[in-house]
Parts: sequence; structure tokens; C-alpha cells
Amino acid sequence: MNTMFFIMTVASLVLLVVVSPDSAFSIMISGASGAIALAVKLCAIYAIWLSVLDIMQKVGMNKALDKLFSPLTRKLFKGEDEKTRQYITLNFSANLLGMGSAATPLGIKAMEGMQDGSDRATDNMILFMVINATSIQLLPATIIGLRASYGSASASDIILPSLLATLVSTVCGVILAKAFSLPSKRKEKKSLTVPEPLKGAKLK
Amino acid sequence: MKYILPVFVIVVLIAGFVKKVGVYDSFVEGSRQSVKLLLEIFPFICAVLIAVELFSLSGLNAYFSRFLAPLFNLLGIPTELCELVVIRPLSGNGSIAILENIYKTYGADSYIARCGSVIVGASETVFYIATVYFSTTKVKKLRYAIPVSLFSCYLGAVVACLLCRFI
Repeated sequence: MNTMFFIMTVASLVLLVVVSPDSAFSIMISGASGAIALAVKLCAIYAIWLSVLDIMQKVGMNKALDKLFSPLTRKLFKGEDEKTRQYITLNFSANLLGMGSAATPLGIKAMEGMQDGSDRATDNMILFMVINATSIQLLPATIIGLRASYGSASASDIILPSLLATLVSTVCGVILAKAFSLPSKRKEKKSLTVPEPLKGAKLK
Repeated sequence: MKYILPVFVIVVLIAGFVKKVGVYDSFVEGSRQSVKLLLEIFPFICAVLIAVELFSLSGLNAYFSRFLAPLFNLLGIPTELCELVVIRPLSGNGSIAILENIYKTYGADSYIARCGSVIVGASETVFYIATVYFSTTKVKKLRYAIPVSLFSCYLGAVVACLLCRFI
């Protein structure tokens, strides 16, 4: 991430110094103000969804939802506990319905549940990120609305190709993530031969 | 579709009331968590958005897209869409702006516009998700997460361009 950030900013700034040096600083400021505007919007959305989530957890609705989806989430995310699985399920449900910003706080909580304390992402965390990053939205409502506002005669004819394209990318992502996780699984099996007390010490 | 959200919230509120959950307390708690969460993820959002803004407004994005155009053409992605495909994993707002531009230039029902719509509708802002989702964990090494996500999203874009020719 550091390397990429460095390359992107330095290359852009060098280009700006050549093309229009006056605007360099104002572009950086506008990026930061964009972040603040986005943060205010996100804070409002998170406040509502985290409140609804809090009620759902106290009522026990999460458990019902987990029971419904656990055959799938148990298989995809082996070894995660019930609470993490609930967050995963809720995150996927919000994503399917196209509520990306409602899905984010749930996704962050799921990630916190999946970390193993080290600075390396676990295979399950990566799989979870890949599924989120390849989009599992059923109905691209924003885009359809935007297209209609620009005078499209049949704005919703992108639903089927979008669904297929997102299906291809998600399936491809899951397969690749599972394939990449194989070598590290083998390592895990080897580490099982390490004497028990040593393993305990390693976890600390 | 438009009834799902409000009805869902009503069901949760009534369920909370029946089970004697302090609904007001929950909203106070949710709002508190929201502010806390935002303080944690804001630095990441801010840093990423500064870089993305520089990348798209300096014109580097346009150069970069032109550079990659032959490769994209080979995969069936039209030259007009290269800029969109490059910015899509970096910035959600940026890709919407480019898409609007495409609608204006080529018409909302053209092949280019349909392709662009599917590309935006069927993918996500990969780098934003990578920074925000991992922000509250200790994880620094994302290993194969970004390459796999990007490859899958680009495959989705290629499929989108192919599908729009037939559907």
C-alpha cells in the first residue's frame, strides 16, 4: 500500500508541476475535503445501521439469520465462530440489497472477528474481502437511476448483464482466493507437528 | 423494492419493543459506535482520497489509460472505456463522474454507455474496501487480496463488454 501510494502521488505531482503547478495544492485539499464530506455522510448512515444492528443483536434476530445461511458461511469460512459468521451473513445481505455503506460497519466487525493477532491477513479475511470487492449486488439501482436520468429508453436492460458479470467476477474471486490459500494450509498442517507448549507460546 | 427498507426497520423496532429492548438506548449506543468507528477509518479514507484526487485530476489517469488502451482493446474493452476501467477500483465518485460523461458524449443507450454501466454496476471500489475493511485490525500484509480482487473485477469487465454485444 505504501509503495502504491508513493508512486501514485509522486507521479501525479510531477505531472502537475509540469502541466499546472498552481493547482497541485488545491487538488490535494479537495481530496481531503471530499474525505470529510464522505465521512459526515458515512457517519450518519453508520449511526442508523449500527443502532438497528444493536436492537437485532439484543432481540436475537442475528441467530435466526445465521441459522438460515450457516450451511454456506460455515463451508466458505471454516473455523470462524458464530458471532463472526453472523456479521459475515449480515454484510452479505446488505451487499446483495445494494446497501454498500450499511455493509461496511458489518464488514469491519467481521474482519475484527477473523484476525489472528498477527500483521498478516488470514485466508478467511482475504476471501471475505475478495467477495466484497467483486460486488454481489443483485440490482445496480444507482446506475439504473443515473441512466434513466440521462434519457435512456430502457435503463434497466443492464440488469441481466450486470448480474452475470458480477457472478463471473465473484466466482472467479472465490476460486482464486481458495487456490491461493492452499499453500498456507499445507504450512499450517506442518506446524501442527510443533510441540503443544511451543504452539501456545507462539499464539501469545 | 422501495418498501423493503422501511418495513425492515419497523419489524426490528417492534421486535425490540416486544422483547423489552431499550430501543432509544440502542440508538444512542449505535450513534456512539458510529462516531468511534468513523474516527478510526477516517485517516484511511482521507489518505486514499488525496491520492485518488491527485491521480484523476492531474491527468495522469488519462495518460495511464491511453498507455493501457492497446492491452484493453485486445481483451475486448473499447478505448472509450479505458479511463473508466482504470478509475473504477480506485474511486466510486470518480467512476460515476466518468460514466455521466460517457452518457453525455455517446448517449445513454449506446453500446459504450451500456458497457460502462455494467462495468460500474458489477464491480466495487477495490482499494477503498481494502483500506477500510482492514483499518481497525492489526493487519498490514494483505498478501494476495488485492491482486485476486483486481483480476476478478477485470475479468468481470471483460465479460461485461462481451455480454453487452449480445444482450
